[in-house]
Amino acid sequence: MKFKEYLKDKFYAIILTFLSVGIIYLIFKAFRIKTDIIFIGIIIFLICNFFILSIDYFRKKRFYSDFLSNIEELDKSYLVLETLDFPEFYEGKILYQALYEINKSYLENVNKINNSRRSFKEYVEMWIHEVKIPLASLVLTINNHQTEINPKIKSQIKRLEDYVDQVLYYVRSENAEKDYLIKKVDLGSIIKNIGLKNMDDLLENHIEFIVDKINTFVLSDSKWLEFVLGQIINNAIKYKRNIKNSYIKISVNEDKTKVVLTIEDNGIGIKESDIKQVFEKSFTGENGRVRSKSTGMGLYIAKNMCNKLGHKISLESIVNKYTKVYITFAKNDFYEIAK
Amino acid sequence: MQKILIIEDDELISNELKNLLNNNNYEGVILKDFKNALREIKELKPDLILLDINIPYMNGEMLLKNLRETSNIPVIMVTSRNSDIDEALSITYGADDYITKPYNPNILLLRIGAVLKRLNNGTDTLIFKDLTINISKGIIKKDNLEIILTKNEMIIFSYLVNHQNKIVTRDELMTTLWNNEEFINDNALTVNVSRLRAKLKEIGYEDAIDTRKGMGYILS
Repeated sequence: MKFKEYLKDKFYAIILTFLSVGIIYLIFKAFRIKTDIIFIGIIIFLICNFFILSIDYFRKKRFYSDFLSNIEELDKSYLVLETLDFPEFYEGKILYQALYEINKSYLENVNKINNSRRSFKEYVEMWIHEVKIPLASLVLTINNHQTEINPKIKSQIKRLEDYVDQVLYYVRSENAEKDYLIKKVDLGSIIKNIGLKNMDDLLENHIEFIVDKINTFVLSDSKWLEFVLGQIINNAIKYKRNIKNSYIKISVNEDKTKVVLTIEDNGIGIKESDIKQVFEKSFTGENGRVRSKSTGMGLYIAKNMCNKLGHKISLESIVNKYTKVYITFAKNDFYEIAK
Repeated sequence: MQKILIIEDDELISNELKNLLNNNNYEGVILKDFKNALREIKELKPDLILLDINIPYMNGEMLLKNLRETSNIPVIMVTSRNSDIDEALSITYGADDYITKPYNPNILLLRIGAVLKRLNNGTDTLIFKDLTINISKGIIKKDNLEIILTKNEMIIFSYLVNHQNKIVTRDELMTTLWNNEEFINDNALTVNVSRLRAKLKEIGYEDAIDTRKGMGYILS
């Protein structure tokens, strides 16, 4: 709060004060009062007015300066009322009360939305657990009646499973609550699980699954990481080229500070103009348009999850040559993850 | 035959699970009385328990915790709750393994086999007729004769020996190989089986592996 601005605001009051000084002077003069006395009266009057203004200014200044600077400093400025003393002047009281009411209704609203979000998330998670039960019994039934049942059903059920998982991890990764557990994870066994999960698809599509011997541990959540890698493998299968020696190669490079997991395929690749956007929500790009079956969500969710886990995910590609996806794990960097 | 107790409240799943186990040389039994689950477990004396988390009366984790106070029966948690937090909790309560629904039945069987094997201190030698099979060394012995198998051939042969009297599908063999991080393709499996046959021929078991067309292989 600046004194100059304050005076500008009080412009009319000041003009009126001087005007009344003039009038008082003229009236007193008319009654033939001594000039000395008139001046003394006027000076007392002006001094009083000056003090009134100053006192008013300093009372307000304390409140408004705190108010403005706290708003700026707080990273959640809606909490500013909590940092202020209740003001002593009338306008301040009105402002304080009004802000208090606004804040209250706003927080109630936010809470309402948060609660409905949370209960929606809980419902979706519960629903997913429920839907997995009939899926599990379908898988078992098919397995027990292999000779009578068309094997195509199996791959359709796998697709269903994948879509259901995608919803689960979307909900988990979008949520502010921490839904993962960071611990030491064996990359080799995660890749084995991914391989087993996608074995039928890989064999059916004649894609070689080439994996280096991997004896590396990283800090991550195994279920989340499996999902992320699953999305990448799914894409590699979906966007394979019609050539004889299709492959997906998985390798690990390690140095003092980081572990880099590389997933390389020799599929149709991604256009250079599309590469920047593949991790964006609902982006399908040319590949998604040319070959259907793309929701544009897989890589977005994967990126989101990697951010939360503290991993870096990036990608390079040349059309009709290769796509390489890199996932970088920091070593022992608990601080990064904690963020 | 080893007895496996299924604790699962979905009837269709428990019945299919029982069929699956029975088809694979296990005796599958289904827990009926959820109210007195602990008592029934003690009466049945299973070799292994497949335990769902969402069961009536007491959830699976609590049941496991109570069971562990008196018993060391191996337990595999089977659940649709797919999170590391649930898994960590189950393991602290004393579960031997954790597998999420919907699971690949072949993988479930491999996991069951692995838990049981771990408990029997994983015998490294198998016997088939007059053959002695040393798995880790990759050697089959017959009297003075000896043949050496590659890792893949040994995985295939020991699986066949462990699943005698039943047709082993190519899918099962493939899953076992991939589970051992041998990510081979269909052609390679065929090649491995025929190499294995050739090697068995050297020691007089020319027709040991029988092909059942469209179904798989059987050891005879």
